[in-house]
Amino acid sequence: MGFDEQLAQFVFAGLKSGAIYALMALGFTIVYAATGAINFAQGEFFMLGGMLAVWSLDALGVPLLLAGLLAIILTSLIAVIFEELAIRPRRDADPLALIIITIGGSMLISSLARHAFGPNELPLPPFTEGGSLHVLGALVEQQAVWLWLLTALAVAGLTILYSRTKFGLAMRASAVDREAAKLMGIDTRIVVMVTFCLAGALGAIAGVAVTPLTQTAYSVGPSIAVKGFSAAILGGLGSPLASVLGGLILGLAESLSVAALSSEFKDATAILLLLAVLFLRPEGLFRRSRREKV
Amino acid sequence: MKNRYLALLIVLVLAFGVTLGAVGCGGDEETTTTTEEEGATETTEADGETTTTLSEEPSGDPIKVGAILSLTGPYAGLGEPEKNTIEMLVERVNSNGGINGRPLEVIIEDDATESAQTVAAASKLIDREEVVAIIGATGTGQSMAFREQVVAAEIPNVSIGGGTPITNPLSPWVFQTPWSNNIVVPFTLDYVQSKGISKVAIIADSGGFAQDGAATVEKFLPDYDIEVVAQETFEPGDTDMTAQLTSIKGSDAEAVLMWSAGSGAAVVAKNMNALEMDIPLFGSHGNARRELIEGAGAGGEGFRFAAGKVLVPESYGTDSEGYKVASQFIADYVARYGGPPDTFAGHAYDALMITVEAMRRLDADFTPQELRDEIEATSGFVGIGGTFTYSADDHNGMTVDDLVMYEVKDGAWKLAE
Repeated sequence: MGFDEQLAQFVFAGLKSGAIYALMALGFTIVYAATGAINFAQGEFFMLGGMLAVWSLDALGVPLLLAGLLAIILTSLIAVIFEELAIRPRRDADPLALIIITIGGSMLISSLARHAFGPNELPLPPFTEGGSLHVLGALVEQQAVWLWLLTALAVAGLTILYSRTKFGLAMRASAVDREAAKLMGIDTRIVVMVTFCLAGALGAIAGVAVTPLTQTAYSVGPSIAVKGFSAAILGGLGSPLASVLGGLILGLAESLSVAALSSEFKDATAILLLLAVLFLRPEGLFRRSRREKV
Repeated sequence: MKNRYLALLIVLVLAFGVTLGAVGCGGDEETTTTTEEEGATETTEADGETTTTLSEEPSGDPIKVGAILSLTGPYAGLGEPEKNTIEMLVERVNSNGGINGRPLEVIIEDDATESAQTVAAASKLIDREEVVAIIGATGTGQSMAFREQVVAAEIPNVSIGGGTPITNPLSPWVFQTPWSNNIVVPFTLDYVQSKGISKVAIIADSGGFAQDGAATVEKFLPDYDIEVVAQETFEPGDTDMTAQLTSIKGSDAEAVLMWSAGSGAAVVAKNMNALEMDIPLFGSHGNARRELIEGAGAGGEGFRFAAGKVLVPESYGTDSEGYKVASQFIADYVARYGGPPDTFAGHAYDALMITVEAMRRLDADFTPQELRDEIEATSGFVGIGGTFTYSADDHNGMTVDDLVMYEVKDGAWKLAE
């Protein structure tokens, strides 16, 4: 395999993980913008997306695409319930307390998943069968293309929601200043609920798209949550586009580190990159630095 | 305003409850199994309730044995068949009069595939439950984590992890029932060399069993005409090894030798298929799992690994004691759990039954030291993994004759050519 083809292969591998991290980072970012807290249950939305798709397919006998849709809808519902039961009662608490609550929620959800679905990993068939595609000398699984497509649609959808709709305007207003938004007549409680619904949907989309490639298990949530969170910090919390770019960069950095160094440093590279950004540019790579005006 | 939200909340909680209930029920298997054995009838209902009509009821203080298994975490798929086996066997032992009249009680603790939790579980079993022996742990790293505790407490430990450090360096208190990497590696390398392969790439996860496997390969390599041209690692829970495999693809490896238990193995096989790597993939006895075949899909075809004979029982030799024991075990397991036992169930069978047989040879009030001595005296015990003979310098008990090479063909395990 020539160097160019190898490089292309590494880049595609990086973009594959990058897309997953991007979707997760988006979930983190929108919740942070709406509540000021980091929702570590985001990883469980990813897990539930895959799990519920497998369940719909196997237990309900529903066709694959419908199973995926059902999984996304159910996960969004669960995300809203989680918000109502765990976040809403403590919405004015210290963000740190909210973070701890979401960590607890994450453990609860994964334990329930283990009881409902068992401890073993479960497979999902790919959306389209067939061999890998040959692109620029590299081999790309068809499912990876689906993943990129869905990521692009999710990002586009979210962007349109935020910038073109009245509700999106309300969401942005609440993110900037919740009190002021309330004074302007925006029901911030609905904003938070819808935000969680979207975060659940984003996590589930990632889960459904990726499970055909990786299998799913009750325990996959926390590690993907950490990666997604790192990606969000890397790009800059609070801006959807920045989060997506953060995700892609993280994925590429991991993949290229395997090429350049050794696979032993793959995870270390991700963390080192994050640390570097936190030290040198804490607001994230793509955010404008906040300057306090007196 | 408040009522609106309250109503919404109630609706959502109900929906959540309904969903959970539907999900919970969806996974159940409606089976009622009845097994009859030598005067005892055992009936198991769908909800797990078991009623046993006994012939001789064991009485007196129960003999307490501890078991540390990975019921959660990356090795949860290995821990579950182990737990199933232990529970089934305890009932069988107790319905046949127990051990010298005393009932057997096995207390199972979950180590979540984490060394810290293994230590906590061991403390609980040794200090609080005062067990006379411990079976486990499922994983090599976890087995090593509580080794010091059993040595200090002076109780025997029969491990069901497959790494060499468990019995090398040898501790008088620690025994092992899976085939150690020390026999699986040369058996596998013999096969690989016999296929004319001289350049291999090694890919292993960072867990204890896999790292020990990779180290053992390096130890035995000088005896073979095989060269390692690439070496890659991944974390046990990782979901994409495309980058590592791309590096391997760029080398001149003629085969990939994978050492990994747990869920990553299926991903490696799958990724190799997606990258159109047509060199053969070899694994280890950590890969004797249905989940690998299901997860790897087309990538699993042609996957070869060494393991014991329980997957294709005819390989024991249909007129051998091993075949009889295995067939009975498979039949019992299928009747109770609906599917065949795998090699991990076999390791748990061997560990528990070796301990039970040793206890049977002793008086009813034996000490842990006497139990240890008697376990070490095990000779010619026909188990699922093979025929065990322990000695003062061999706490693994098996040889390469207990292994066969398997190949995944049409989604099932067949003997490899």
